[in-house]
Amino acid sequence: MITGITTFCFFASYTVALALEISRLWLRSNIRGLVMIFFAAAGLFAQTLFLFHRASTAEGIPLSSPYDWFLMAAWVLAALYLYLSLYHREQAIGVFLLPMVLAIVGAARFARQEPLERDPAIQLWGTIHGVFQLAVIVAVAFGFAAGIMYLVQARRLKRKLPPTQGLRLPSLEWLARASGRALIVAAVMSGLGFLSGVILNAVNHASDREHFSWNDPIVWRSALMLAWFVVAALFSVYYKPARQGRKVAYLTSASFALLVISLTLSLLLKSEHGGRQSDAKPPSNALRNSEAL
Amino acid sequence: MQLQMVGCSHHTAAVEVRERLAFSPTQIGLALERFRTQFPRAEAVLLSTCNRVEVYTAAESAAEAPNHQQVAKFLADFHGLDFSAVFNDLQEHSHRDAVRHLFTVAASLDSMVLGEPQIVAQVKQAYQLAQDYHSAGPLTNHIFQTAFRVAKRVAHETTINERRISIPSVAVADFAKCIFEQFEDKNVLVIGAGDMGEETLRYLQAEGAWNITVTNRSFDRAEELGKRLGARVANWDQLDALLVAADMVVTTTGATQPIVTLEQFLAIETRRDQRPLFVLDLAIPRDFDPAIGERSGVFLYSIDDLQTVCARNRRQRDKELPAALIIIDEETDRFMSAQHHRSTNPVIQRLRGNWQDVREQELKRLFNKLPNLGEAEREEVRQSFERYGNKLLHLPLESLRDESRHGTPHGLIEALKRLFQLKD
Repeated sequence: MITGITTFCFFASYTVALALEISRLWLRSNIRGLVMIFFAAAGLFAQTLFLFHRASTAEGIPLSSPYDWFLMAAWVLAALYLYLSLYHREQAIGVFLLPMVLAIVGAARFARQEPLERDPAIQLWGTIHGVFQLAVIVAVAFGFAAGIMYLVQARRLKRKLPPTQGLRLPSLEWLARASGRALIVAAVMSGLGFLSGVILNAVNHASDREHFSWNDPIVWRSALMLAWFVVAALFSVYYKPARQGRKVAYLTSASFALLVISLTLSLLLKSEHGGRQSDAKPPSNALRNSEAL
Repeated sequence: MQLQMVGCSHHTAAVEVRERLAFSPTQIGLALERFRTQFPRAEAVLLSTCNRVEVYTAAESAAEAPNHQQVAKFLADFHGLDFSAVFNDLQEHSHRDAVRHLFTVAASLDSMVLGEPQIVAQVKQAYQLAQDYHSAGPLTNHIFQTAFRVAKRVAHETTINERRISIPSVAVADFAKCIFEQFEDKNVLVIGAGDMGEETLRYLQAEGAWNITVTNRSFDRAEELGKRLGARVANWDQLDALLVAADMVVTTTGATQPIVTLEQFLAIETRRDQRPLFVLDLAIPRDFDPAIGERSGVFLYSIDDLQTVCARNRRQRDKELPAALIIIDEETDRFMSAQHHRSTNPVIQRLRGNWQDVREQELKRLFNKLPNLGEAEREEVRQSFERYGNKLLHLPLESLRDESRHGTPHGLIEALKRLFQLKD
């Protein structure tokens, strides 16, 4: 049964949940909340099984390819959405969070699918590197969603309008805190991800495995991203006005834009990072998944 | 069931009349006891609020129920009023109209402020008092429990009581709560001592705000308000420092010029580090220069802004009224149909009873003629007779149920009584 699950299954479930979230704006329904949660939970369940299957059938280190990291980032965000929609049923957080989930699942399609080769040293540092990169994507995407919600809510309050029926959002205080924390988490995770990447490359270099040079575009890009996150986080912590919601919302939006540019470049530019994409043959189930999507 | 409502509301009687007929909770108890003495076979619930005084009575038959005049006289006598002076101000609803009226009242569709949430609690309280004084019974229980369910359904299926329409509630629920997640750690500054400000503060306190500072040009008045609200009192000359520390400001002075100008605010703005500032300017003329509302992090609402939102919300509520009335009509029809069907129960029971007697006699005769039948076979025969009887009765009973939808089926009941010689 598990082998029959494709990315299309959970992508479609999240899309239905998003459509239901958007329908709040026009339609009032008593059962929508339950149906929405059902579809989001079904999508999350399908995605969990899909990742489990990939982990158990991987030829290399389980869930170690960028493709898997993207899907895991989407999984974390979907789980976050499910949690928030259970505890804040009246609020339309999904309108902003679910597009992130769908975009990340969509972006996964273009990412490399081959896992890292099985080796204890690579497994340890590769996993650490992957987890931190995943955390950066989750933090930036969540911070961006919270930042956009902040700007929408602040605009309404400035225009002295009552809450739009069906588009109730969390308070500015909650949103500012959430996006501020997301920025700090992104900076810390980005730093640790960069450091673990350097160690992983050094391990590869020492054991005469495939590694990339220090002037590889990925190194410069990662370093620039890290510098941006650190500056943005320090700016938000030490410059008091920057901690106030709107500026944090702009910082998270800029961080998200940079992340998207960085990820797009990593998909387009040739890099030695994690091995060449064209060299490896994708596993059969991965091929089927990308076709399904 | 004989059900009626006699009373008056803001729709039918002036406030002077309603005042004279109003009951305090103690008086309601006395009145219900007196009602029971006067009409021992009838049930009664007495609802008395600022906008209405209504007596709901119910009895199994017309002979047991007080009529319209008797209830009106009861009300007049209780308050020592001349019957003829109040009679014309009282309205009467009976049967279906009374049911519909109660459902409409409980769902807050008959209230002065459409959709206001207090009325359902007041109806519940009235019913509870009637229970406490033993004037409520199975008939009123059924209709009042249904009314509470209907009110819940209206609230659930429409947005009629979701949108706030009072200035303090709009200020707190639609704006303050969208800015701040919690109020326990917020500094609230009250400038002036107006009534509206005090009412707004009650809402803020209900949300958890406790760190409140009051300031006023007259220190004595500030102290007085501070005592009432349990708030700190500060001197007027500390206003700038208080504004720097404040997260929320409620201002209601009677000043003829703005007490906080843009220049004044710009001078303290940097010290606030752009922390969000929620200002409710409830004064006329305004206490805060409107240009302050353009500053980053400042959310400034004047009484006009809030009134605009209230009016908009009121219009939204009005839009929901037709949908709510459809629910009321549906539920009234359902309730009445159930009541009418209930009135056929005695006839059905007697019909079934007669049928059973005939069946038992025939079975006895048959088993005497067939003594060799075993217990299992006898049981089969018994069940077969029972099924036969049920199938024969099914169609007439269905016809009765169908007729009940349009009212008590007196014609059919009478026909059944005569055809099957059913005696009362």
